[in-house]
Amino acid sequence: MSANIGIPPTGNGGRSGQQSEQRPSLASAPVAGIASLIVPGLGQLLARQLQRGLILMGSLLTFIALLAWRINLIATRQTGWSAKLSRALNREPFFIGLMIVGIAGLWLWNAWDAYRQTGPAKRGGAAIFVLIIVLFFTLGWQISEINLYKAVAEFADTLPLLTKVLWPWEAAVTRRTDAISARAQIAVPCTDTPPPAPVETPGQPYIVSDPTCGDLSDLDEDNEIEPGTDLSLVGRGFEPNTLAEIRWSDPIGNEFQIRQDGEYLAVMTDDEGNFAVDIIMPYRLVPPSARGTQEHEVEARQVSEIGPLIASDPLKLSIERMIETIFLGMMATAFGIVLAVPVSFLAAKNLMSGSWATLSIYYVTRTILNIVRSIEPLIWVIIAAQWVGLGPFAGVLALTVHTIAALGKLCSEAIEGINPGPIEAVQATGATRLQTIMYGVVPQMVPPFISFSIYRWDVNVRMSTVIGLVGGGGIGFILIQYIRLLNFRAPGIAVWFIAITVAILDYVSAEIRERYI
Amino acid sequence: MLEVKNLTKVYDDGTVALRNVSFTVEDGEFLIIIGLSGSGKSTLLRCINRLVEPTEGQILWDGEDITAADPAQLRQIRRRIGMIFQQFNLINRSKVIANVLTGRLGYNNQWQSLLQRFSPEDKAMAMAALKRLGIEDQAQKRADELSGGQQQRVGIARALVQQPKIILADEPVASLDPVLAHSILLHLEDLNQTEGITVVCSLHYLDLVQRYATRVIGLRLGEIVYHGVQSDIRAMTDEQFKGIYGEEAERVGGGLEGSLGGAA
Repeated sequence: MSANIGIPPTGNGGRSGQQSEQRPSLASAPVAGIASLIVPGLGQLLARQLQRGLILMGSLLTFIALLAWRINLIATRQTGWSAKLSRALNREPFFIGLMIVGIAGLWLWNAWDAYRQTGPAKRGGAAIFVLIIVLFFTLGWQISEINLYKAVAEFADTLPLLTKVLWPWEAAVTRRTDAISARAQIAVPCTDTPPPAPVETPGQPYIVSDPTCGDLSDLDEDNEIEPGTDLSLVGRGFEPNTLAEIRWSDPIGNEFQIRQDGEYLAVMTDDEGNFAVDIIMPYRLVPPSARGTQEHEVEARQVSEIGPLIASDPLKLSIERMIETIFLGMMATAFGIVLAVPVSFLAAKNLMSGSWATLSIYYVTRTILNIVRSIEPLIWVIIAAQWVGLGPFAGVLALTVHTIAALGKLCSEAIEGINPGPIEAVQATGATRLQTIMYGVVPQMVPPFISFSIYRWDVNVRMSTVIGLVGGGGIGFILIQYIRLLNFRAPGIAVWFIAITVAILDYVSAEIRERYI
Repeated sequence: MLEVKNLTKVYDDGTVALRNVSFTVEDGEFLIIIGLSGSGKSTLLRCINRLVEPTEGQILWDGEDITAADPAQLRQIRRRIGMIFQQFNLINRSKVIANVLTGRLGYNNQWQSLLQRFSPEDKAMAMAALKRLGIEDQAQKRADELSGGQQQRVGIARALVQQPKIILADEPVASLDPVLAHSILLHLEDLNQTEGITVVCSLHYLDLVQRYATRVIGLRLGEIVYHGVQSDIRAMTDEQFKGIYGEEAERVGGGLEGSLGGAA
């Protein structure tokens, strides 16, 4: 590398002596220095240090362009360069300052370097390239918005999420629930005829509110809450010693648990299943067009878990989707292998170099394989989902396409790497052409083909855990849905299943390859 | 008797590998071909069983013209010509016994052999060959688990189950150290003397040539530049040696000079 960028070998007298055949510089040292001061790298070009000059010119131009872009981004509202620069220096003094000093230093150094490059010894080491690399990393640090302070200080924010993802099993089991509730009508606002108290049926839960009408909480001009009417709720006929949630239901059917002082409102029943609680009528946004009396309802509800522990929906779904995932990967691998084997023959140079026609087939096949392989499976899923719709089949198609390309290349390289010696040896025994293929070629190809196929199955199952993110079926499909619902225990279960499956598959595939190949 | 008459081989790229080569090998001889790399030794051996197609000339084996044989006849001829190679040319991933059994392919129906099945007689013959070479306990190992010397013995066993009348050996010991080289050549000599199998072998080391050959042919740039019987080889001079190996060549190896001294 160092030789490629025009740095002469140092500490090697023998070789520097051989460099006398290098042609002399086109310009004298001061001229080269001034040339590089005006156009970076020009002096080095004049000194016949082509690569060195081009690298210096290219990197200085790149630095200036990138820095200008970042300054413009930081100071996007300012107009005029001086205003932008001062704003940017104000916002990020360290980064902008370092870059300006670094670029200026590099510029001067480059001129001095050109001055030295004209000499016969071509002195000047690699230090200037170290500065270039340092500047590139400084830019990279800022462009990728690295913030170590944030990473450390805000790590604690991830803990609730992380613990749920790492230990999601509380959500794996559940019990059936049963709810008993009672409702009472509340009219807003009060009129001459407030709604009557509900009729009490013995043995049924029952609540009564006093009064049965009032005003909702509201916001004044300063966005301060004006509390609504106080209601005294009395409940009877509930389960004893059990929490009862107090809920509200507005005229258009929105139900929610009432919060008071930031806490959800719930009340414990006494030994007879009775309770009494005072509540403030909650805030509801009432449309200005609303006219007349609105009928709201207050509800007391007890939810109790009954029956044995059963598998929760996330657990059942994760298992179902994991099975789907494994089979999806298996089908894609199978289709992929069947199609990749013939393709690999077309992409093997030793088989296809017979004539220009077969050679052009080889080049076309190779090019297509390279293009297909370089497109990520996630992109193929999006294309396949347009083709056959969302679901596992789209995933199978996408992974099949990618598998053909990846396996086709690996297998064609295995064919190219075939040893002609054993083929010659089998031929020499008097074997027919068919026997030669069977005993000289096939035994050399089967083990690598099997090895690649198992490896690919492994890859495909791992892939199929994520292709669901973009609609390709499998466990990724529920993973992304649960994540979007901010329900982190359920994706935790899915992540666990993925990890377990991948670990098993990793082990099995390594074991099979070890034994077989 | 193997008669090579005016054999010439020109490769597609214009390289002349053999020029008008003629010689005769009597049955039961141990003929060694010497010469620099690129002198045409490998090409000459491969022309005999037509792994390489000769451009001109004739090869007669017991009066039958190998160069004129059609594919079916050629396979009949090839199965009586064993061949061993410098790089052993085994199927590395197959078992030793499977490698030896490929020597029986020429005798078997090709459709039956597609199923990788061999008759009990073939298997017994393969085991006997391995036993003769002292590696019957390695039969179930993969070929690439064996050492170089053992692999070459598998190569000899593969040639042996062909029940050959002649064995062509292309630099059979060039990949082995001197001790192993002797052991391999002793096996060939044993087959040559007890079974009467003719051996045509190319070699690099002059001391081995002097020890094993009954007759020697020297090749240089595709032409025969030396022809000698056993007594000639023992008395071979530096000038003759340089004539074969080129002016820049020197005798290499202490063992070589020692054996020369002993012979003189």
